Amino acid sequence: MALTPDPDGRLACGRDAAAVWDRAVAGEPADAHERGCPHCTAAAADARGLGALVQRLAQEDPEPPPSVLDRVMVAVRTELRPHDVLTLPSPHGPARLSRAAAAAVLRHTVDAMAGVRARSCRIEQADDTRSGDPGHAVDVRITVTARFGVDLASVTARVRQMVAAAGEQALGVPVRRVDIEVVDVFGDHW
Amino acid sequence: MARAVAVAASPSASGAEVGSGVSAVPDELDEQTLVVRAQEGDARAFEQLARRHQDALYRLAVRVMGDRAEAEDALQEALLDAWRRIGRFRGESAFSTWMYRIVTNRCLGMLRKRRPVPVEEVDAAPAPAQDSPERAAERDAGMAALHRALAALPDDLRVCWVLREVEGQGYAEIAQITGATEDAVRGRIHRARTRLAEAMRSWR
Amino acid sequence: MSGLPEVRLHVGDAVVARVAAHHARRVPGVVALRADLTQALLGLADSVLHPDRDRGALPADGVHAEVRGGSAEVTVTLVTRLGFTCRDVAQAVQREVAAEVGAYTGLDVLVRVVVAEVLLDR
Repeated sequence: MALTPDPDGRLACGRDAAAVWDRAVAGEPADAHERGCPHCTAAAADARGLGALVQRLAQEDPEPPPSVLDRVMVAVRTELRPHDVLTLPSPHGPARLSRAAAAAVLRHTVDAMAGVRARSCRIEQADDTRSGDPGHAVDVRITVTARFGVDLASVTARVRQMVAAAGEQALGVPVRRVDIEVVDVFGDHW
Repeated sequence: MARAVAVAASPSASGAEVGSGVSAVPDELDEQTLVVRAQEGDARAFEQLARRHQDALYRLAVRVMGDRAEAEDALQEALLDAWRRIGRFRGESAFSTWMYRIVTNRCLGMLRKRRPVPVEEVDAAPAPAQDSPERAAERDAGMAALHRALAALPDDLRVCWVLREVEGQGYAEIAQITGATEDAVRGRIHRARTRLAEAMRSWR
Repeated sequence: MSGLPEVRLHVGDAVVARVAAHHARRVPGVVALRADLTQALLGLADSVLHPDRDRGALPADGVHAEVRGGSAEVTVTLVTRLGFTCRDVAQAVQREVAAEVGAYTGLDVLVRVVVAEVLLDR
């Protein structure tokens, strides 16, 4: 039986070839049309003939050597936008801190708290409006997910405290403002 | 504020409440959180995303390229592509679909650049691995014939077929991954199946 | 002085970079210096390389130095870890490197510091 499917994937009888094939592989019984139709019968026979081999192919599970991701991460880390930086206060010359690294520190601070996880953390450093000099104080906008059931008001108050403290202690920049948005809840018992 | 500073007077003290040995990115973080973090330049979050998806992406690349070394190259380049473009991921599709798409594009690009090789000379079976189950499979003549038939398929047919039969993707997802219409995807998969069935009939 | 040939000492970029790296690494809180892009990517796929990056002075272990006349500009890119304050580590590196490189070479030294990463694991 020569099978010459049209580009839309219809058998000569008009049936959707993929559907006929998928059903045959799944072991579903042929319907009345399929039993009498030479095109459907041939497609189903091919499907079943190929099925076991395809299944074995699909079960082969080649795994990538760890060196691939290692190389990728070396490149990723060296590519980290070094121009995207915050300014650190220093009397000794230009001192900068990667914005992504600063955000990771603040997220880590939040992750370490019970019942809450940081998602987005954006840090903006505004110029000093009076002097026009680059200021060092930062505004932080952080989104969090909270464990279902935790008291949102108290947890956000603690997040605000901890983020402000981490900004001063771990980063060394004054934190002017912390905006927190709870964007989702998570839980073990849905 | 004075009190807040006291709470975390030492950054290591603030971490103490979760105990030692806690990794920087908790393992159980949901995918959306990891994606957002990676979009904001968090390499660790990206690494975790890559770790979660790399096995499936490598499987796809191995089957499409028919060669493990080339599949490794494709995976490496695709993961870098993903890092560089992750800011443009808008969540219109599942993240896995987006990643499959990037790997698919890398593979197709590499296949286009490949010098054409006569089908008879294609060593279609992937290089034997060190693990013995793989080798057992390689020794199996039926599998070898299937690998050869797969390698002989046109690239676009092979991509769709692998996504369907090996990766178990739905037709709509395959359409998103390949940028083709769902009808075209159905047609390609059927043509691929038919050709493989014919090849295997003549082998038997 | 007459009769003696004039001696002009020129200190090269690589010398400044190496001395700077040596002292920067010893500052408490500095976990590592982040190798410059071109260095770190040796051995990686070509597509990873950015040919448009600065190909000026030779980087040495995350330190980039340029000597111009009697002064030098040094850029130190470093990794620190939680438990230290980024600001303080940066300032300490600036102080130490400027003083040590200055004393060793006689150059006026400006030190730029970039904290590229903060290790979070303990």
